[in-house]
Amino acid sequence: MKIAVSSDSSNLNARVAQRFGISPYLIIVDPETMEIEAIPNPGAAGKQAAGVQAVVLAISKEVDAVLTGYCSPTAVKYLADNGIDVVAGVKGTVAEAVAQYRKQARAIPARSMDEPDFVGAALLHALKRSGMQIANLLPIFVGVVLLIGLFNAFISKDLLSSIFSGNALLDTLFGTGLGSILAGNPLNSYVIGGEMLERGVSLFAMTAFITAWVTIGLIQLPAEMAALGKKFALIRNVLSIVLCMVISILTVLTYYAVLVWN
Amino acid sequence: MKTEGSGIFVDKRSDLKKLVFPGCVLMIYGIVFVINPAGAAMAFRSSTAILLNLMVPLGLVFTLMVFMNLFLKPTHIVRFLGKGFSSKGIILSAAAGIISMGPIYAWYPLLKEMRKKGATNSLIAVFLGNRAVKPFLLPIMISYFGWVYVALLTLFTISGSLAVGYLVNTLAKD
Repeated sequence: MKIAVSSDSSNLNARVAQRFGISPYLIIVDPETMEIEAIPNPGAAGKQAAGVQAVVLAISKEVDAVLTGYCSPTAVKYLADNGIDVVAGVKGTVAEAVAQYRKQARAIPARSMDEPDFVGAALLHALKRSGMQIANLLPIFVGVVLLIGLFNAFISKDLLSSIFSGNALLDTLFGTGLGSILAGNPLNSYVIGGEMLERGVSLFAMTAFITAWVTIGLIQLPAEMAALGKKFALIRNVLSIVLCMVISILTVLTYYAVLVWN
Repeated sequence: MKTEGSGIFVDKRSDLKKLVFPGCVLMIYGIVFVINPAGAAMAFRSSTAILLNLMVPLGLVFTLMVFMNLFLKPTHIVRFLGKGFSSKGIILSAAAGIISMGPIYAWYPLLKEMRKKGATNSLIAVFLGNRAVKPFLLPIMISYFGWVYVALLTLFTISGSLAVGYLVNTLAKD
């Protein structure tokens, strides 16, 4: 078993750091031998996504539990997804925290994953997470649907026809452009795309729009450049724009071919 | 000590931010209603019809989400991204991209770390490209566009992501 403890310095007598994401060290402790590995936390500087960097460190070290003062909800989610037990509100020294955790762990009988209560808890957790994910989608989704209602009521088909002329190449280009600058959950792009079709916009434009929405991230480009490098992000996004247009045209032509075939 | 293992947290500030957009749309409705009540009513009826049509697909989306949350752990798969542009690495990267959920910016630090450990640019590009395929949203897509179209788009999207991965491998050497 391995336990990761957020810590102010690099030994067992150090105080437990109160913020997991920006703690100076993560101390990995084997509670049987009390051997430690003190690792400087790459997120200690507190820059963007510091918490996620600490999470990645904990996951890569294959720890079973994280003990800390406070852990953000996002970090808890990622750690829990990887089967790591998160204990927050921990105070005192690293050694005391580990001893306390061992004491509590011994008090809880080991459970098998096949036991009904474990399966029930996992299902409940999945239901709660899915409920939260849907709840997170709903406000924007409802806003988009309400906006589409206004659009349907007040924007004429003639206006749309003046933008999307029916020319396969131009429609694909405009659809790609529109989808590239918009972002958000793909669910919204499908609803908008479906309504575009209803209003007479071509399948080329709609396909390019929903494909670009999810494959090209002009809004997220700065974050992608910061994380993965400018060269990589630019090459990937430029290639994605070209491929988005190719995918759209091929999809629509094949779809029409299938329709004719049938 | 307080265990937070699988606790559900609510960030009130981000919850409020999410309400800004629908709030603005409702304000527009209010203004339109004053100027043109019949138009506002028509717009509202149109929106209600869309919402009602999507109720069943949304129920299916929820069911698929539950199954994915129950059985799939994309962060585990991402850890196995290969060091070369091998078939195993491609399949794992594509699978991880397809089952990954949540905003992309949350994945960047993890991908950065995986690259430090040897995952190639091409496999990261494959992962990012395959995020376009959303299995849990298939019911909505099919309800709008039909299964033939959705199957073709999915097939071409996955193929396109592999092409991007290959080209990134050539143009942005690791």
